[in-house]
Amino acid sequence: MFLHNYIYRLKCIIRDKEFLFWTLLFPIILATLFNFAFSNITEAEKFTRLNIAVVDNEEFRQNTALQRAIKAAANSSGDKDQEGLFNIRYTSKEEGDKLLEDREIEGYIYLDNGIKLVVKESGLSQSIIKGFMDHFMQLSSTLETIIRKDPQSMERGILDKAEAAINYLKEVAPSKSSPDIVVNYFYNLIAMACMYGGFWGLKEVTVIQANLSSQGARINIAPIHKFKIFIVCVLAAVTVQLFEILLLLAYLALVLKISFGNQIGYIIFTCIVGTITGVTFGAFVASVVKKGEGVKIGILIGSSMTMSFLAGMMYDKMKYIISTKVPVIGYLNPANLITDCFYSLYYYGINTRFFINIGVLCVFIVFFSLCTYLILRRQKYASL
Amino acid sequence: MLVYKAFFKIIKKNMAQIAIYFVIFLFLAVFLASIYTDPANMDFMESKIDMVFISHDKDSKLVDGLKEFIGERANFIPIANDEQKLRDALFFREVEYIVRVPKGFTQAFMEGEEIRLEKTVVPGSASSVYMDSLINKYLNTARLYVDNIEGLSQQQLADYISEDLSHQAEVLMLNPDPDKRLNEKRTYYFNYLAYSLFAILVLGISAALKVFNQPDLANRNLCSPLRLRDMDFQLILGNICFAILTCLIMILPSFVMYRGHMFTLKGLLFILNTFVFSLAVLGISFLTGNIVKSRNAISAVANVLSLGTCFISGVFVPRDFLGDTLLKFASLTPTYWYVKSNHIIGSMERLKEEDVRAILTSFIVMLVFAVTAFAVSMVLKKQKYMRQVRGF
Repeated sequence: MFLHNYIYRLKCIIRDKEFLFWTLLFPIILATLFNFAFSNITEAEKFTRLNIAVVDNEEFRQNTALQRAIKAAANSSGDKDQEGLFNIRYTSKEEGDKLLEDREIEGYIYLDNGIKLVVKESGLSQSIIKGFMDHFMQLSSTLETIIRKDPQSMERGILDKAEAAINYLKEVAPSKSSPDIVVNYFYNLIAMACMYGGFWGLKEVTVIQANLSSQGARINIAPIHKFKIFIVCVLAAVTVQLFEILLLLAYLALVLKISFGNQIGYIIFTCIVGTITGVTFGAFVASVVKKGEGVKIGILIGSSMTMSFLAGMMYDKMKYIISTKVPVIGYLNPANLITDCFYSLYYYGINTRFFINIGVLCVFIVFFSLCTYLILRRQKYASL
Repeated sequence: MLVYKAFFKIIKKNMAQIAIYFVIFLFLAVFLASIYTDPANMDFMESKIDMVFISHDKDSKLVDGLKEFIGERANFIPIANDEQKLRDALFFREVEYIVRVPKGFTQAFMEGEEIRLEKTVVPGSASSVYMDSLINKYLNTARLYVDNIEGLSQQQLADYISEDLSHQAEVLMLNPDPDKRLNEKRTYYFNYLAYSLFAILVLGISAALKVFNQPDLANRNLCSPLRLRDMDFQLILGNICFAILTCLIMILPSFVMYRGHMFTLKGLLFILNTFVFSLAVLGISFLTGNIVKSRNAISAVANVLSLGTCFISGVFVPRDFLGDTLLKFASLTPTYWYVKSNHIIGSMERLKEEDVRAILTSFIVMLVFAVTAFAVSMVLKKQKYMRQVRGF
């Protein structure tokens, strides 16, 4: 009997095209769009060689030290950490102005009674160029001071030493995985899809409640325990939703090549817990809210969107702001917990943070299920 | 004007759904306005990097001097020295650079031993290149002094370096654009507008057409004394009025946010662009309204169309980050042309001939979209009508 009901619930669910769209197709479409939009966004902070120009006038031709320094900056030095900084072209002043106006270059170097840098706006690229020019002038000052103090330093080859810069920094990677903010958007998307599983929870509660659907009225007369049929319904919903989430996960990992770290077992485990949270959340909303179906769906969408927003789906820093300023809200937000599970697996590997998240999610599941059950049980109707 | 009135009655019934998208837009617009824009700066300002500086080497004049020097070009963010907190902060770009001075650094450095600072950064980022160069500059200068002048105290060393590093190149600004930030904001405002406008028009118009296209209702209307042409005319008039009204409501907040700046040539062009765009979207909405079968499908179609076109056309992310093939594909949507002309309008400093030509091209393409979509839906409608007539 159990299996019979289960199979028929499954059939009912997979024939609901509208909900299938929102729970399966919509996340996949959104993932595709995210991928279009974000795949190159980290390029913005990447360093690329800066295009600059040097005004090739009389004063520049006389300044051989500067010429040498600029040439050195354009070529990559031996150290693999330090690629060449600049792509350089030599122009006249007028041409430099025009290139700058057309944004072909970030700035140009111009010698006119001293070294000048001409730029169009303030920014990081311009600061890097200025840093280089500063360095040239500062180095001269250092050498002057030293030679004045100790004229013999010239003979000891101080000039060569000055040019051989040492790299005093060694890079310590933050994690085995790169701090790629983009993955968080996709983790968020899975969390949203899990919460959209609430659609199924909502549908199942509607189906077994006599005052919500005529089907529910019929089921209530049938000689089956309410709890049993409820479990069957939720199980069917979880089955379908889990299947959809795994499909989404496969699409993200295999087609879009989003990195999830390498803890496949734990990732799937997170999906299962997230799915059950979503479905029970939907059942909870459906049983607590005593209004029409439209209102329930509205609340479901509204709350899952709010959760996703607070977990950083629209603005990546939101998650960080919440977790540092008001961590309580982070723990009360299932979407954030699911996102954080994926995030901590990716960035930190398996650690206590992951298990705390899973633990809190389980508390939510128990809470939602218990409330739903307490509301649904033993309802009697004088008339329908 | 019975049909015209009925059209707006249906729109009113769907107001709740439509209002959601307007609220989303308002939220985006207000959020945009709340981002602080520093006043137009005509002088050059060096960039500051958000970073964490952790020193395990106490009581070192050298390290203090280093910190002071980079402090002029960095914002030190106070974050507890907790491994996970620091790594979180780096991931979410609260800080971009974490540097640790190991214990005994100064002593080793003064004695000429090889010792390095530890940095944790976003690999390959421009900000790390910048900060690397600053730190290396300071320490290399110190190295030169330590190697060449004997018996230098830490304090003397720090003083020498700070004297040297006060020499700076002079930076001149070439015709800086004081309204640059404002123009960028305005461009984003009108870009975001595309999303909500698209969703609202598709939702509203499709919902209304759906009602008029119900077979029984359509048949009943056909045998009414009102001529089909009049009916269509009123319906189209209703559509156009709805589009213009939506447009006006969406543009309204910009007058509150940008005030006088909207009464300029740029402001006018932004508005004109939006109107032309809304005609193209109107055409598409008219088409979807005539194609889509079920009521439930409307919101799905509205979401997919508006989100989809906006994502691939560069509404939510700058265009430079989108692939070329994708952009070619996106140019098959009016949103692409709308965003394109928005960017031209936003970034031009004076009206150049090539800019005018590019903007006009966009306008024409959008109008072609409008006319084509409209023509196709009229043909579909006619076919349906003929089928219906034959059916009797």
